[in-house]
Amino acid sequence: MTTVHKLSKLMACALAIPLTINTVKAQTTTVDSTLINRITALEQQVADQKSGESHFMVAGLTTFGYVRNKTTFIAPGMAGQSVKTNSFGDADHYELSPMLMWNHGNKFLVEFEPSFDGNTIGVNWANISYFAAPGLIIHAGYFVVPFGIYNKRLAAGWIDKLAGDPNGFDLPGADFGVGLSGGLPLGDMKWSYDVSLTNGLQLLPDGELQNAGIVDNNKGKMVSGRFSLLPLSNSCLEVGVSGLYSSAGDVGSSFTNANVTMYGADINFVQTFKPFLINVKGQYNRINVTRQTYFTQTDSTAYSFNNKTSSSFAQISVRPIGVDNKLLKNFEVAYRYSNYTTPQSSIWGQNLYEHDFGLDYWITWRTVLKFTYAHSHALSTANEAAGGVPGITNVNSMYLQFSIEF
Amino acid sequence: MKKIKIHSRALMIAVILSGMASILITSCMETAKISAKSGAQLWAENCQRCHNTPSPASFSHEQWQTIGLHMQTRAQLTDKERDKIVAFLSQ
Repeated sequence: MTTVHKLSKLMACALAIPLTINTVKAQTTTVDSTLINRITALEQQVADQKSGESHFMVAGLTTFGYVRNKTTFIAPGMAGQSVKTNSFGDADHYELSPMLMWNHGNKFLVEFEPSFDGNTIGVNWANISYFAAPGLIIHAGYFVVPFGIYNKRLAAGWIDKLAGDPNGFDLPGADFGVGLSGGLPLGDMKWSYDVSLTNGLQLLPDGELQNAGIVDNNKGKMVSGRFSLLPLSNSCLEVGVSGLYSSAGDVGSSFTNANVTMYGADINFVQTFKPFLINVKGQYNRINVTRQTYFTQTDSTAYSFNNKTSSSFAQISVRPIGVDNKLLKNFEVAYRYSNYTTPQSSIWGQNLYEHDFGLDYWITWRTVLKFTYAHSHALSTANEAAGGVPGITNVNSMYLQFSIEF
Repeated sequence: MKKIKIHSRALMIAVILSGMASILITSCMETAKISAKSGAQLWAENCQRCHNTPSPASFSHEQWQTIGLHMQTRAQLTDKERDKIVAFLSQ
């Protein structure tokens, strides 16, 4: 090879190397910019989808079913008369209740639960909670008044082991006002409080009670509260006491000075004794209304009675969660005894007891199919002169109920 | 002399109240045994007090946070219990 040839090759190489590098660089730049654009787009997508400190969600529940009733009324000295009914929907009771929840960080929670019961659309609660400090939640709006455990924790269809509610646990229900609540450790134990100040109850002309509603019926307010203790370190046992005081008479009525006191006690025990999960719950309520004079609707005759009402229930359910059989472990059997005694010599006076037997199948942890048989016996203690109806009422009911939490 | 008596009484009341407050605050502390509980253990112990224990797969992380606040208002969970249970369910 001549020197000229060698030099030509060297020059060609010298020219080729920069060209190659530039080509590679150009390709790299193209790839990089595409990748960067893609990454930027993805980052934007993620930024758009970030949860933020606020969150809105819809949960809720629906309950649907079928009920077959046989009601037998036995008037004094007469033969019993029976009426049979059956219907869909009213499996104590049909309910569709979407719950709207919005939280702002860990400080605020807004809850609103409208509810369709087959006839009307009502509101179960609509309130805001402020998580002020550890063990201190301040809430305001329309909420379930703290009293006992049934109304606030156990009444939902997907939680209740039996299709119907125990009798006499409607009060104090939900009300407008403000409240404080919280749970705090106590060494190995735990305790909680839940107190509220609300509009209060209203005494009706026949001596029954109902919620006053958003427009208060008097200047007095209702104070209610529940305190509970969980004495065991695994929280399997909870005992609670509740108290309530409310002025109840309408302004300008003959009930101006009427007051209501309520007190109650509850227990909740849940423990696994392999292979069974045992669930025991109970509550006792007592309502006292100060002595008043009432008037019959027919001829305005004055009458009076000792306006005291008591209601109670005791319930046990057993589920073999520890067995290997997948079908069997989803079954649960339940039994509840409830008692409801309304004032003797009132228009609605009665002594009622009810037995409920249930067989549930848990399709998922929040979806249940329930079969419940209930028998109730009510002996009237009503004031006949005031319009009360004497006699005995027996009701046998069979429920097939489906409930789901969503 | 009377003033001193009043002052000593006030001091005694203040000491007693402070002592009671200290006892109350101290008693509201959890023991090491309780502090050591995991989110899974608290989930198993507390949820089933009212209903079946929920599956973590049922809701997203953000949803569990909102539900945690809701459940705290219902079951009066302590703040630590809520945080640990939500952290476990969000995994």
